Amino acid sequence: MSTNTPKKRPNPRAEARRAAEKRRRLLLIVGGVAVVLLAVGIAVASVGESSSRITVADVAGDVEVTGEPLPLFEGDPTNDPAIGMVAPIVEGESFAGDGREVGGASGPQLITFMASWCPACDREMPDLTAWLDDGRLPDEVDLVAVSTFLDEGRPNWPPDEWFDGFGYTGPVMVDDASSSISEAFGLSGTPFWVAVDADGEVVWRTSGLIPMEQLDEVAAQIAAS
Amino acid sequence: MIAIAERTFGVLALFAILITVGTVVALTTRRVPTWLSGDVALPLATSIAAVATVGSLVLSEVAGYTPCTLCWYQRIAMYPLVIVVGVAAWRRDRQVWRTALPLSLIGAIIAVWHIVIERRPALGGGVCDPAAPCAVRWVEEFGFLTLPTMALIAFAAIATLTLAARAAPASEGDRRVDEHPEEATEPAG
Repeated sequence: MSTNTPKKRPNPRAEARRAAEKRRRLLLIVGGVAVVLLAVGIAVASVGESSSRITVADVAGDVEVTGEPLPLFEGDPTNDPAIGMVAPIVEGESFAGDGREVGGASGPQLITFMASWCPACDREMPDLTAWLDDGRLPDEVDLVAVSTFLDEGRPNWPPDEWFDGFGYTGPVMVDDASSSISEAFGLSGTPFWVAVDADGEVVWRTSGLIPMEQLDEVAAQIAAS
Repeated sequence: MIAIAERTFGVLALFAILITVGTVVALTTRRVPTWLSGDVALPLATSIAAVATVGSLVLSEVAGYTPCTLCWYQRIAMYPLVIVVGVAAWRRDRQVWRTALPLSLIGAIIAVWHIVIERRPALGGGVCDPAAPCAVRWVEEFGFLTLPTMALIAFAAIATLTLAARAAPASEGDRRVDEHPEEATEPAG
């Protein structure tokens, strides 16, 4: 096996091709960078000054939870271990700082947990508002909406404006920054519903979009308790 | 800062739409320009995959937008494309569409479903997972460019560009690397 390999002769055509290839690659890189810079320039020019942001701390309520927390809702309302348990009692406040209370044996309650950034809640709120406007909530039953999972980085912030946008005028309790009310009621997803009877016991929990006819049934059931 | 990043990705997505439409027209009329198929298509597809990858990481790691399950599936399809198409661009491997097209199609199908969930949350069960909700539109540039929409555009652009590269004329520098490995890095014509 010979170790003497002939010296490669310079090939002017191959070298010219390589040089042309280098030029093309350089042109592509420069072109790519130019396009990205153009996009950044358009973005800088078109994005307006961000106004001073309302933070979660500005919105979150002072919340005090007493009683045993409910187990996490697993998704099946018909086989829910929380049914029959005494609901936790929560003392909190509205967006305006007025005192609010849910749970306890103060009378039958429907508690709905809404996150303003949640598209499913966005779908449910108009139906709920119309349901209330139609006077379908029995007089014996209180309905409280809990504004939960506050997150200033998500859409539809701040949540008070989101509620106002639907014309919702019912009572709202604001969760704290760590979503203590949701945790106490075993929320697994929004929207989330809890029905509590006159004795303060959980009758029904569910999550997700629900037909308003189902709300009629549950409201009638706890009204009779 | 995040708003500028989101708008930048939005503008780049608009550019990608133009690129995709132009490439689709060229492919359907069977008039793919040689400069596109020969020199531009694969580096451009690599750049689009790289921007999509960097964009997804910026929005999750810097902006704090938690990726949902469907986001992760799209990432699984997108991230390898940077390497697969990038290496093919370097080696002038015109057959990379055989790998890139299935990955892009899988990613595109997931992106379409994600867009549907964004528009019709009831189809996704009607429940928002508080930790990583798929139905939330973290970004919505120009009224329609949500994150899965941008991903869909990127997948479509990469798929069409790798197909355009396939259409390159069989000149000396454009031969298949598996047939002429010694000439694979030689430039075209």
